[in-house]
Amino acid sequence: MAGPTISLPAPIFAKISPHPFLVRSLTRSTAADHPPCRANGRATQELRPVRFNATSLSHAHGSALVRLGDTTVLCGVRGELLPVERIPQFRPVDKEELRQQGENNNGNCGDAIGRGELRDYDLLVPNIELATGSAPQFLPGVPPTTLAQTLSTRVYSLLHSTGLVQAGDLKIWYSPKEQRRGEDVEMGGTGDKEDGDEEERPVAYWVLYIDLLFVSFDGNPFDVAWAAVVAALRDTRLPVARWDPDREVVVCSKTERRRLNVRGLPVACSAAVFMEKEQSEAGAGPREGGHWLLLDPDRLEETLCKEVITMVVDCSDDETRIKSLEKQGGTLLGRELIRGYAGIAERRWKEVRTAME
Amino acid sequence: MTATTTPEATFGVLPRADGSARYSHAGYTVTGSVNGPIEAQRREEHAYEAHVDVVVRPAAGHGGTRERHLESVLQSSLAQIILVKSFPRSLIQIVLQVENSPENDYVNTKLVQASLNFGIMPALMQTAVLALLSAGVPMRATATGTAVAIMHQDGAKQTMVDPSPRDIEKARSVHVLAFTSQDELLLAESEGDFTVKEWDLVYETARGICCRSRPQAKEGMAMLLDDESTGGPDMRQFLRSTMESKVAADLHWK
Repeated sequence: MAGPTISLPAPIFAKISPHPFLVRSLTRSTAADHPPCRANGRATQELRPVRFNATSLSHAHGSALVRLGDTTVLCGVRGELLPVERIPQFRPVDKEELRQQGENNNGNCGDAIGRGELRDYDLLVPNIELATGSAPQFLPGVPPTTLAQTLSTRVYSLLHSTGLVQAGDLKIWYSPKEQRRGEDVEMGGTGDKEDGDEEERPVAYWVLYIDLLFVSFDGNPFDVAWAAVVAALRDTRLPVARWDPDREVVVCSKTERRRLNVRGLPVACSAAVFMEKEQSEAGAGPREGGHWLLLDPDRLEETLCKEVITMVVDCSDDETRIKSLEKQGGTLLGRELIRGYAGIAERRWKEVRTAME
Repeated sequence: MTATTTPEATFGVLPRADGSARYSHAGYTVTGSVNGPIEAQRREEHAYEAHVDVVVRPAAGHGGTRERHLESVLQSSLAQIILVKSFPRSLIQIVLQVENSPENDYVNTKLVQASLNFGIMPALMQTAVLALLSAGVPMRATATGTAVAIMHQDGAKQTMVDPSPRDIEKARSVHVLAFTSQDELLLAESEGDFTVKEWDLVYETARGICCRSRPQAKEGMAMLLDDESTGGPDMRQFLRSTMESKVAADLHWK
C-alpha cells in the first residue's frame, strides 16, 4: 500500500472507529513482555478495584459511596414510618401462619409471608438516577431512560428475591404487657388501668427509600448499583421506635439507633462478550473470528458488545449460591461458559467482601 | 397449571399489520403485531442495521418499569435472530399486547408491579417469533423459550415447567431459557437461590422442551418451517406444525 499514511492519536482512533480500535488493542501487544490487553489497559479477565465509603451522607439513615474505576454511585437509605392504619388493604399476618412458615422454611430465604409483606406494602422503594453529566449520553430534562428503568427493576427484583431485608426487621410492634411492665417500674403499680386482653400487634412499618445517584458513569452500572445498595443497607441504622398508646402515634428515639439486620452478601459480577467480527449474528453457522469475554466492561466496551451476562452470587455460606443470572443478547455464552463463569463471580465476591470490610 | 396445557396459536389476527399472531399457553394469551421494515425515526436510525423496537403492553394499565425491562430483554434477543443487517436505516416494530395472564389468588393484585415477571417471558418471546414469521421478516433462526421453576417439596427438589404465579412465589428459583433453532442458548434469566448443579438440571429440562430433535429431514422451506417453538412439551414441533398448517391453508387455491 503506497500512499500517505495517517497516524492518529489513540483517543481519536477510538472515537472514529471504536470497534477496530478495540480489536487492535486485544490482538497486538505493545511491547514484547506485555500480553495484549484491552484499550483501557486491563487484561480481559481483570476487574477494576472496588472502593467503598460508608456513611457519607449525614441526613440519611444509611449511605454508601461506591467507586469502581470511573463509575461512582452514591446510595442513600432513608426510613419513613408507615402506620398500619394508612395501609389500605392491611391484613395482619397470623402468628400461627408465621410460625408454620418458619418451620417449613427453616429460616431459608423462601420466607413467602415476609416477602409478601415487603411486596404488598411496598416497603422497599429503590430509585435510580443517572445524573446529567455523569456520561455524555445522558441528557438533561428527559424522562428516565430505559437503562434507568431497567436497572431499578433489576435492583427491586433482586432486593426481594435475595431476602436481604426481612419484613420482620421493618415492623414496629406494640406489646401492651411489656409497656405496662415498664410503667410499673416507673410509677409503681398502676397495672390494671389497661385492658389485659389486648394483644401484641404491629403498629407501623419502616419504608426504606433507597435512592441511587450515578455521579459518574463508566460502564457496568448494575454491579456498582447493587454493591452500593448492599453497602448502604449494611450501614443503615434506624431509630428505635415505639407506639405511644396515649397519643396514639409512633415515636422515635432521638438518640437510640439500631442496626438493620442484613442477611447475606450477594455480589454482582458482569461481563460482556466482544466479537472480533462486528457483523456476526446468532446462528451464523461456523463462527468466524474470535471473541473475548471482557469482565467488568467500561463504557466504550459496553457500546461495542451485545451479549452480556450478570451473575449474582453469595458465598457467605460455604457453598456458592447463585442468586440471579441474566444472560441476553447473543448465543456465544453456552452452558460450559456459564458454568465456568460461576468461578469468576466467586473470585469477585471475595474481592468485594474484602473491600467492604 | 392453569388453562391450556398445549399451546395454541393463530396467525393473521390483525388485518392491517404486516404480520400478527395470537398465542396462548399456560394461562397467558398474548397478541403480537409486527410492522416492518418501515421508516425509522431519526434518532432510532442506524446506518448499518435495522432498529428492532419492542413494545410490551400489560393486560391492565400502562407499562411501567417492569415492561421496560421485558422490552429490553426481548429486544436484545430478537435483534440477534432477525437479519437486521439486511435493512439498514429501517425499523422493525413489534408490539405485544398481553390479553390474559393467570392471577395469583393468594396476594392482593396490584396494577403496577415492579418485580421481574418470569412467567410471561416465554409467551412474549413465542408470540414475537410467530408474529415475525407471519410478517415474513427474514430471520436467521427461530427461537423457543420456556420457564422452569425449582420447587422444594418435602425435602426433595423438583423441576416444574411453566409454573403458575403461585408456584413462582413458592419456588426456590425460577428460570427462563430460550434457545435458537441451532440449539444455542439465546437467553437465560434466573432468579432465586440455586447452585450451578441445579442450573444444569434446569438447562437440561429446558433444552428437552425447546430443542427436541426432529425426526423428519429438512425440506425445501427449511428457513421458514425449520424451527418453530411453542410453549409446552416440544415447543419446536408445535411451531413447525402451526406454520405448516398456515402454509397449507395459504396454498390451498393451488
